[in-house]
Amino acid sequence: MITLDKVGTGRKVVVSEIEGDQRFLSRITSIGLTIGCELEVLHNENKFPLLFYGRDTVVALNREESKNVFVEVVE
Amino acid sequence: MNAATMTGQPVIALLGQPNSGKSTLFNGLTGARQRVGNWPGKTVEKKEGYYVRDGIRYRVTDLPGTYSLSANSEEEIITRDYIASGEADVVCILADASQLSRSLFMLADYTGIECPAILLLNLVDVAEAQGKRIDAARLEDKLGIPVIPFVAADRKRYGAFFEAVDRALKEKKRIDIDSLIAKYHAIGDGIYENLLALMPEAGIGNYSAPWLATKLIEGDTAILDTVKNTVEAEAYRDVETILSSIQNGALHTSGCKFQWIDELLSEALVQKQGKPLLSRFDRLATHRRWGKPLAVLIILLGLVASFIPATPIMVLGGMIPRLGGPIAEVLSSIGVSRILIDLINQVVLNTLYFAVAMIGFVLGVNLVFGFLEEVGYMARVSYIFDGTMARLGLQGKSVMPLVVSFGCTIGGAAGTRVIDSWGQRVLTIALAWVVPCAATWAIVPVISSLFFGAWAPLVIVAIFLVAGLHMLITARIFGSKLIRQEDRAGLIMELPPYHKPRWKALLRSILVRTWDILARALRVIFLVSFVFWLLTYSTSGNPDASLLYRFGRAIEPVTIVFGLTWQTFLAYFASMVSKEAALGVLGSLYLGAGSLFTATVGSGGKVAVGLESVLLASLTAPAALAFIFAVTFNAPCLMAITSTYQETRSLKWTLRILGYYVSTSLILAFLVYRIANLFM
Repeated sequence: MITLDKVGTGRKVVVSEIEGDQRFLSRITSIGLTIGCELEVLHNENKFPLLFYGRDTVVALNREESKNVFVEVVE
Repeated sequence: MNAATMTGQPVIALLGQPNSGKSTLFNGLTGARQRVGNWPGKTVEKKEGYYVRDGIRYRVTDLPGTYSLSANSEEEIITRDYIASGEADVVCILADASQLSRSLFMLADYTGIECPAILLLNLVDVAEAQGKRIDAARLEDKLGIPVIPFVAADRKRYGAFFEAVDRALKEKKRIDIDSLIAKYHAIGDGIYENLLALMPEAGIGNYSAPWLATKLIEGDTAILDTVKNTVEAEAYRDVETILSSIQNGALHTSGCKFQWIDELLSEALVQKQGKPLLSRFDRLATHRRWGKPLAVLIILLGLVASFIPATPIMVLGGMIPRLGGPIAEVLSSIGVSRILIDLINQVVLNTLYFAVAMIGFVLGVNLVFGFLEEVGYMARVSYIFDGTMARLGLQGKSVMPLVVSFGCTIGGAAGTRVIDSWGQRVLTIALAWVVPCAATWAIVPVISSLFFGAWAPLVIVAIFLVAGLHMLITARIFGSKLIRQEDRAGLIMELPPYHKPRWKALLRSILVRTWDILARALRVIFLVSFVFWLLTYSTSGNPDASLLYRFGRAIEPVTIVFGLTWQTFLAYFASMVSKEAALGVLGSLYLGAGSLFTATVGSGGKVAVGLESVLLASLTAPAALAFIFAVTFNAPCLMAITSTYQETRSLKWTLRILGYYVSTSLILAFLVYRIANLFM
């Protein structure tokens, strides 16, 4: 299990845990990130927000916040 | 009792996530019959309007775009309070059909609220183009409320919407919640059942018992308070005991909601495997090295392009002052007094000219940048500039108005309309005023090369350095009031798929506000021009008979502290009306001829013959430098101030920004003058 900010571009992962306060959890889940959902990392460049695809949507997520998302790499 | 039974005017609330097409639908429904203001005491925009059908007036409220119905932001609190208030007769939930699985989250979060609803599957044409087929009848069957495949930009399809609203008003159906409750039952060890049993059976107001129980699990403190005030003390203690055993409740409930959505869609949505996730253009637009230059290039091209629709209107406006001669002739032939003719000629005609020229430019900017927003590109700009703009407390999109302001601050202010948060919009405008606009370069190089010769470029470098520092400080000062702590939280946003522009809907949304803008512009510009005209009115035609002249002479002991002589101070004062005016007014004052009013509104930045030698003889180098800084960092011009008032819709904030710039530009002049005096 690693955090999302460590996942290389092009990798597919499954979300296994999300940490954070109630605000963050409510916000991140309302945009489609929940436990068990599959994501594909589209861009992971230093100093830029992470870009990934999940649940029909391209989502940009701040690097700091993506450290709260724990994932298993599937391919 | 709800609104419809009280007034006979049904109230429809539009609810949806950002980018779901709420605003397009709102503009399409209400056209010019809308009012935009702020929610009482909040920094969030409130849009209300109405449409009439079969003699019935339907009132429409466009709720703020939010991702869910929790209470973590001002937008969410407003949305939820509004729904709880029972003011709406029908809530119209919009979902983006091209991203249906994520977009239905709002529907899931709404389920359990006791207010009739309809579901609009917006952008169904985009979804079809992606190879998706949605079975709306099947969804309607499962949800129990009207479900309409929809294109908000296409008014020909509104018939189905009107029908669905009437059906919802008549049948008053709520979303069928049973299948969702079944999912919640899987949370923990009977946690959900136990909580549900403790809730008042009839719910609280519009919130049903199952909805309340879900929000409690999510750790929603506002709902916890509501429950505390309603249930018996003993029951509340039990609620607290149960809640203490749950962690990360929102993860559980959201998981349930998405399971429910997936199940709904498993039978109602068919999709083919689509195109690559990032197009070749998107790879470039989000590229760490090329994304930013590309964005700046596109914004600059956009600025140029905005002159295409703007130029004809601006040229037309430019012809208005030419009517002055013929009008004066006619009026004086029928014996109208000289002063009245002057007033009409100078104030009325110039007001019309300024307002029309400004409207042309504002329309052009709104059209071009509205287009970039509409097709989806602005979201990429937001992504690529997120880190840079976050330092100023702004979102990435704010880079656009700031770049546009190098051309013209009016365009910068108008361009902030693509920013969805009102606070961010006001802060962006406040910062856009710092950016030296094109008119600055009609003044600064002339004076700096006159006084500093080969060293003149250093003055320009200094201006940019000061501008950078100014922005950082201004962002702090204004940001603390305008940007809420919760908005400073890092970026979480979606990048919507690109889609073809819908010109009709775009034009409609821009033209809807044009009349309002024109009316406001005319009022503000007329009022200020009139006052300025009175101040500069001179019976002899020379400046020394005007009030402004006497005021300038009287106040010189004060202005000289800031390094400004009475002449440069008056030129600085006039530069608030038009930046180019600074040189014209200097010419008029130092050479003692010509009307100050004409010098301000009509000089176009020309240097009067003989001015240069007079300036060199009467100003010291530090005083010239002080003047340069005072004018550069002063309020940009009357039209930029007007445009700021239009976009913020707040006289208070416009005056605050204006007052701030007048004081800071004088402070800067003071500092520059004092420091320069040490060395020169």
